[in-house]
Amino acid sequence: MAFFEQHIHSEPKTFLSKYIFSYDHKVIGKQFLWYGILFLGIGGIMALMIRWTLAFPGQAFPIIGNFLFPETGGVVPPDTYAMLFTMHGTIMIFYAITPILIGAFGNFLIPLQIGARDMVFPLLNMLSFWLAFVSGVILLASLFTPLGAAAGGWTSYPTLSTLIGSPGAGQTLWTLALFILGISSTMGAVNYITTIIVLRAPGMGYFDMPLSVWGLGLTAILNAIFLPVLGAGLLLLIFDRVFGTTFFLAGAAATSGTGDPILFQHVFWIFGHPEVYILILPAWGIVSDLLSFFARKPAFGAKATALAMTSITILSTVVYGHHMYTTQMSPLLTQSFMTLTMTISIPSAIFFANWLGTIWKGSIKFPTPMIFSLGVVFVFGLGGLTGLYLATVTTDLYLHDTYFVVGHFHYTMAASVLLGGYAAVYFWMPKMFGKMLNETLGHIHFWLTFLGLNGVFMGMMIVGYAGMHRRIYNPFVYEFLERLIPMNTFVTYSALLMGVAQFFFVINFVYTIFFKKEKASDNPWEVGTLEWTIPSPAPVYNFKEIPVVKCGPHEFGNPNLTGDRDFQYQTEELV
Amino acid sequence: MNKALEANQIQGKQAVHAVGMTVLLVSFAMLFATLLLGYIVFRLTTDTWPPQGLARIPLTLPTISTLIIGVSSVFFMNFEKAFMTNQLGKMRAFFGLTMGLGLGFMLVQLELWNSMKEMGLWVSGGAYPSLFYSLTWIHAAHIVMALVSLLFLVPRLFEGYDMDRITWVQNVGKFWHFLGLVWFVMYIVMFVY
Amino acid sequence: MGFITPFLSASVAQAADKQLGFWGRLWNMMKPPEDISVHGNLIDWLFGYTTYMNIFFFVLVCVGLFGFSWAYRASRHPKAYYTYGNKKIHVIVATIIGLSVFIGIDMNITRMSNDDFVGVFTNWPTEKDKPVRIQALGQQWAWHFRYAGKDGLFNTEDDVVQLNDLRLPIDRKVIIQVLSKDVIHSLYFPNARRKVDAIPGRLTRLWFQPTKAGNWDIACAEMCGTYHYRMKAHLTTYSPEDYAAWLSEAQAKALEENDIENPELFWGWKWQW
Repeated sequence: MAFFEQHIHSEPKTFLSKYIFSYDHKVIGKQFLWYGILFLGIGGIMALMIRWTLAFPGQAFPIIGNFLFPETGGVVPPDTYAMLFTMHGTIMIFYAITPILIGAFGNFLIPLQIGARDMVFPLLNMLSFWLAFVSGVILLASLFTPLGAAAGGWTSYPTLSTLIGSPGAGQTLWTLALFILGISSTMGAVNYITTIIVLRAPGMGYFDMPLSVWGLGLTAILNAIFLPVLGAGLLLLIFDRVFGTTFFLAGAAATSGTGDPILFQHVFWIFGHPEVYILILPAWGIVSDLLSFFARKPAFGAKATALAMTSITILSTVVYGHHMYTTQMSPLLTQSFMTLTMTISIPSAIFFANWLGTIWKGSIKFPTPMIFSLGVVFVFGLGGLTGLYLATVTTDLYLHDTYFVVGHFHYTMAASVLLGGYAAVYFWMPKMFGKMLNETLGHIHFWLTFLGLNGVFMGMMIVGYAGMHRRIYNPFVYEFLERLIPMNTFVTYSALLMGVAQFFFVINFVYTIFFKKEKASDNPWEVGTLEWTIPSPAPVYNFKEIPVVKCGPHEFGNPNLTGDRDFQYQTEELV
Repeated sequence: MNKALEANQIQGKQAVHAVGMTVLLVSFAMLFATLLLGYIVFRLTTDTWPPQGLARIPLTLPTISTLIIGVSSVFFMNFEKAFMTNQLGKMRAFFGLTMGLGLGFMLVQLELWNSMKEMGLWVSGGAYPSLFYSLTWIHAAHIVMALVSLLFLVPRLFEGYDMDRITWVQNVGKFWHFLGLVWFVMYIVMFVY
Repeated sequence: MGFITPFLSASVAQAADKQLGFWGRLWNMMKPPEDISVHGNLIDWLFGYTTYMNIFFFVLVCVGLFGFSWAYRASRHPKAYYTYGNKKIHVIVATIIGLSVFIGIDMNITRMSNDDFVGVFTNWPTEKDKPVRIQALGQQWAWHFRYAGKDGLFNTEDDVVQLNDLRLPIDRKVIIQVLSKDVIHSLYFPNARRKVDAIPGRLTRLWFQPTKAGNWDIACAEMCGTYHYRMKAHLTTYSPEDYAAWLSEAQAKALEENDIENPELFWGWKWQW
């Protein structure tokens, strides 16, 4: 399997080569982790400002409001509100979730779990992070342009995102930043796919890989195929804005010739729907692994889970039209997209069966990573099932662009992916930093986050079904929404609770990394995958000897096992 | 390190690069496929083509471009052959020809854009000229990238064959042929039909 | 604790609902706005059906999730059952679950939704139905509505043109053709459960049949710029007689007041059936 054995890196000596321009996949993974957590914080504060405005229109945002919006006495002004939700969406999707799950854990886990010494193209890996960094700087810089940041929603549909609707430089910088981030992610994807194909340890077949690697690999495939599609759309949008082409200008707005604003929506969603799965697939993989690890039982139907993930990956490419029912595509297209979308529920249901099958008759322990994983099963159940309303064309006619959609995609993308990401952080912390996070704080973090997020997203779905549409600064100018004031207030309090809960994580995380003395053991969770056969934290070269894989990743509770271990390392022959 | 192990390393490296380059080219292909899809959508949804009495772009210049880029691919193949057999003289000649034709392609593209301007096709003149300019621009930008990557092979012209650099030559070659292929598809889809 | 105040005052504003009690008010918030169209109930019904099916399956998931977590916790069940889940019975159970979700919910709602979609929502009223014809134009940030004048033709001098003010008769089909002047908007009738995007350069349409006279809100559902939330129009539904009275008055007024020198007035288009 392994096409060749990588050399052992020489240990980097200088600060620069060790922490900044490092070729080491583990350091790059950590860089992505910090980067993601930083943006998660920024995006989170933006979310709180949005929620604040919706619950208490006309009230000054507490503490930092006066500093941020002095000219309105601390109240979020409507144009800033539009920037806030645009940047919140963009940051959370592209600059928080993507770096944490794909950047950080993709980089960290893939080589360790397949028994490689590094990514196959370390230089490309480093460039990928630094391009992402440049892109992040551009995005943040766009907040300080004269007319402010992009304000057309994270989808930035033309013609609103052309010069007609947003003349400022912010939108151009937004487009540029995403284009650069796309290049960065594509580089990462090339690296991941190649690494998985060529550097698996001897003896490791594809089905011997942990499901996390399956999830990350499928994500990388989707990234490599569909990010260029977004790239093309963004390029044309940049041309429209900078060079005066008219791809997306039509009607009275077009000075000459006719473009087609809907074309952008097609291109965007051809990318955008797979993007949803790009975000969730790593979380699925990680959760499938963790459930098995803590139920002390082999993953139920691991092959079926892997194949279900693969089929979802394939299906995700042909269902994008359900985002565009209200643009009135031809009825035939609408019907076929509806039917195709529905087929996604078969592999999804198989997941759930397998997840529940994994904990069935297990011997379940509940440390923090496990409760986060169980939390993912819960919230993804809600998120997946509520998708049915939106895949169905007639209910979507009513629910499209309401808060119901917002609630739904936050359940799938924010809640599931966030909880999955936290599960991963708590679980791999000893291997990344050599120390264990505090369990008590972890449990508090989980329960507060879980309560908060269900309050937020369930509340959003309720106001959505009651008719409240998205991206409105003050819903209560509408008579039919006035009755929803208490519900919106409740959602905002839940969001505050969720925000407060994150402090427990930050304190725990920072304390553990910088101040905690106690070292973690090499295999604190008693798990048999390859990364737990090496010291904690992982040394620069990962594996002194490239391991030879002899059994699957989820060997727990084998009755033939003698001795006091209830698991087997992947390097051991199956007893 | 002994010879056999080193050969194994090189083989492994070649396999790695073959996989990586394939993934990368699939990505690039998706970029161009999307752009061409956009073109086709505009083309099929417009009743008359070219729209609004605009003129068709004459085939002459695009045909010259196609020939140039095709021939340059052949030259590059010869360069690769010469590299594998370590014939310095031949390598230099074919490298020069490839590079020259690459620059020639860019010149013809410049001429194409000039001629489009002379025909009254301005960038901001609607979807039809927008499409032609943007697609050829994006392709040309990739050609520039390929020309830069050709420069990375210049040391080979003096030092000759090196096992470590086989993958470089092969990767640049694949990218070069790929761009030629993309141009050929663009030529057929955009200019001939 | 200043930020509590709006919460309290909101509660005061809802004093009328007070006698409903907490659950009553919660239930009130969980309902969609009042349905004023003949076919809105189809959407509500399908939503309800999906909800009940979802609750059924989600309860199953929760039973598994919480039940197994409780029953098989390490202290109670120290020895895990060693299985890969690839026995025949396991595969059969997983397949049955997969298929029952697909057939139980998906195929059912797809079929019903498809019937509604083809039979009702895209079954456009034809000239024979004599529907009320409206042309709507979205712009940042207002809705224009146009009624054909006495001549029955659009974009002529005697058209009735309304700004953010749509008036419709009940018990008659209404068909609206929608276009946008600048960016993409979405014409949203919460009370009729219907919306359609307003796109520059591309006509879209929407039809429904009001059943109740009253005053309702029309909104823009697609992000269209800073004052998106202010892009609100008013819908008044009249009994047929009141509508006829209003229309003849409005037509007379239009003949008098339409400034035919103003090219801005002629944003309409020829009606295409």
